[in-house]
Amino acid sequence: MSRIGNAARNIGKLDELARRDTWLNRIHPLPKLLVTVLYLVLVVSFSPRQLTGVLGMAIYPFILFEFGDLSFTSALYRMRIILPVVCLVGVLNPIFDREPALTIFGVTVTGGVLTMLSLMVKGVLTVLATYLLIATTTVESVCGALRMLHIPGILVTEFLLICRYVSVLLSEADRMWQAYSMRAPGQRGVAAGAWGSMIGRLLLRSMDRAKALYQSMCLRGFRENSTLLPVKGLESKDLFYFASFTTTLILLRIFPVLELIGRLFV
Amino acid sequence: MSHIHIDISGLSFEYEKGHPVLDSISVSFHEHDSVGIIGANAAGKSTFLKLLVGLEMPPQGSIRIEEIPVEKNTLSKIREKIGYVFQDSDTQLFMTTVQDDVAFAPRNYGLPEDEVARRVARALDLVHIPHLAGKPIYKLSGGEKKLASIATILSMTPDIILMDEPSAALDPKNRRSLIHVLNEFDHLRIITSHDLDFIWDTCSRVVLIDAGRIIADGIPDVILRDETLLTAHGLELPLSLSER
Ligand SMILES: Nc1ncnc2c1ncn2[C@@H]1O[C@H](COP(=O)(O)OP(=O)(O)OP(=O)(O)O)[C@@H](O)[C@H]1O
Ligand SMILES: [Mg+2]
Repeated sequence: MSRIGNAARNIGKLDELARRDTWLNRIHPLPKLLVTVLYLVLVVSFSPRQLTGVLGMAIYPFILFEFGDLSFTSALYRMRIILPVVCLVGVLNPIFDREPALTIFGVTVTGGVLTMLSLMVKGVLTVLATYLLIATTTVESVCGALRMLHIPGILVTEFLLICRYVSVLLSEADRMWQAYSMRAPGQRGVAAGAWGSMIGRLLLRSMDRAKALYQSMCLRGFRENSTLLPVKGLESKDLFYFASFTTTLILLRIFPVLELIGRLFV
Repeated sequence: MSHIHIDISGLSFEYEKGHPVLDSISVSFHEHDSVGIIGANAAGKSTFLKLLVGLEMPPQGSIRIEEIPVEKNTLSKIREKIGYVFQDSDTQLFMTTVQDDVAFAPRNYGLPEDEVARRVARALDLVHIPHLAGKPIYKLSGGEKKLASIATILSMTPDIILMDEPSAALDPKNRRSLIHVLNEFDHLRIITSHDLDFIWDTCSRVVLIDAGRIIADGIPDVILRDETLLTAHGLELPLSLSER
């Protein structure tokens, strides 16, 4: 199985996850979107040395993975490309900042290590939160929620189409790769001489297909500022979800929970 | 009640300058016509269908659908009346599951959800694929994709059906049920194909085009039996007729 084909199927898998019928999937997309955005903002807002504070924010993904019927390991597996990248962000900090910041069990931790760790944790948590949103909410309903927030229809359409075209691009690349490897048996990767024309063809083909897809949407009544994305009304469970998570998250941001718990034992 | 018909006069089209694909075509189709457009590869069949729904705009000539001219500002009105099945199903289907794709048009036309569900169920029934409803598009076989594409336009309950090579990719059983679906539909339908047996089974009128011109227009019994005419334009007698 080619890696490109894998990527295409991965997107398909995520979409299938998002279409399941669990309580979390049934929560209205708007509160889920807003809670996710709030979470991202709060996590990023911690100062670089507030490691314990950031760690406390892990409670949110923990709760959703635990009760949302989602597998944590397969989430890690799907995010295996992006997570290391995110973790690399602060990797040089320990070199630049060697001031001792605190001592745990006799080991001195420098400020650099502390900021590195908190950047890593922030990165991982934001990726997980985004994953949780897309694994429980379809692209169409995220778009519906954006429309409810009065984001201009043309922008939402753009977003929707980009999401569709990414899979078109991947599946087109997969087809070309298959056709290529059938005629270049035993070869690893694409020969240097063929790259140029392959990329060119890929762009032309995916543009053609994207155009045809768009035409097919228009033939079935799609309009640029279509407000008809299926959005239902908010129910009390949606409001409850929104209220409970926003209060929890804000409390977590204000009170360093882990520190408080830690103090109980000291 | 409006009378469904299509009037085309002096229609010419070219993708590239100096290479006409359609050359001053004039023809009319009427309410209960079941028209087969036949012709060899690259004769201009698909292009002809695309012009009817305004996917390409003709520089010359006019197309009127139920008296409405096909122009930029009438397109949405015209497209509501027409169901178009692409030659390549991969371009037709764009939602994640079969069900969502079939529901796309009725939802876009603002129908209430229970009516949408009714139409989806009926469309899937007609092409015998209710079991595929929840299946992701990328897991379908070629023939299943074709049937799903056809269902996506049946759920629109169109006045006019245009199908580009619908029988390609179908096994004999599904081909037969498609013939049945088409014969049940009693409004105007226009089908392109080089599967002349399929045309024989579904059409009451045949239009032969070659190099962008209409060569012959008549009942299947005359055109599809005319071996000299067919071979002169790159086609062959339908199997079911040549065996006799
Ligand atoms: N997008 C395009 N750009 C340029 N030329 C095109 C394009 N689409 C089709 N053509 C050309 O127009 C001519 C008619 O093509 P068309 O697709 O209408 O043929 P067809 O009768 O449907 O053939 P087939 O039976 O193979 O489907 C062909 O010569 C083709 O090369
Ligand atoms: Mg064609």
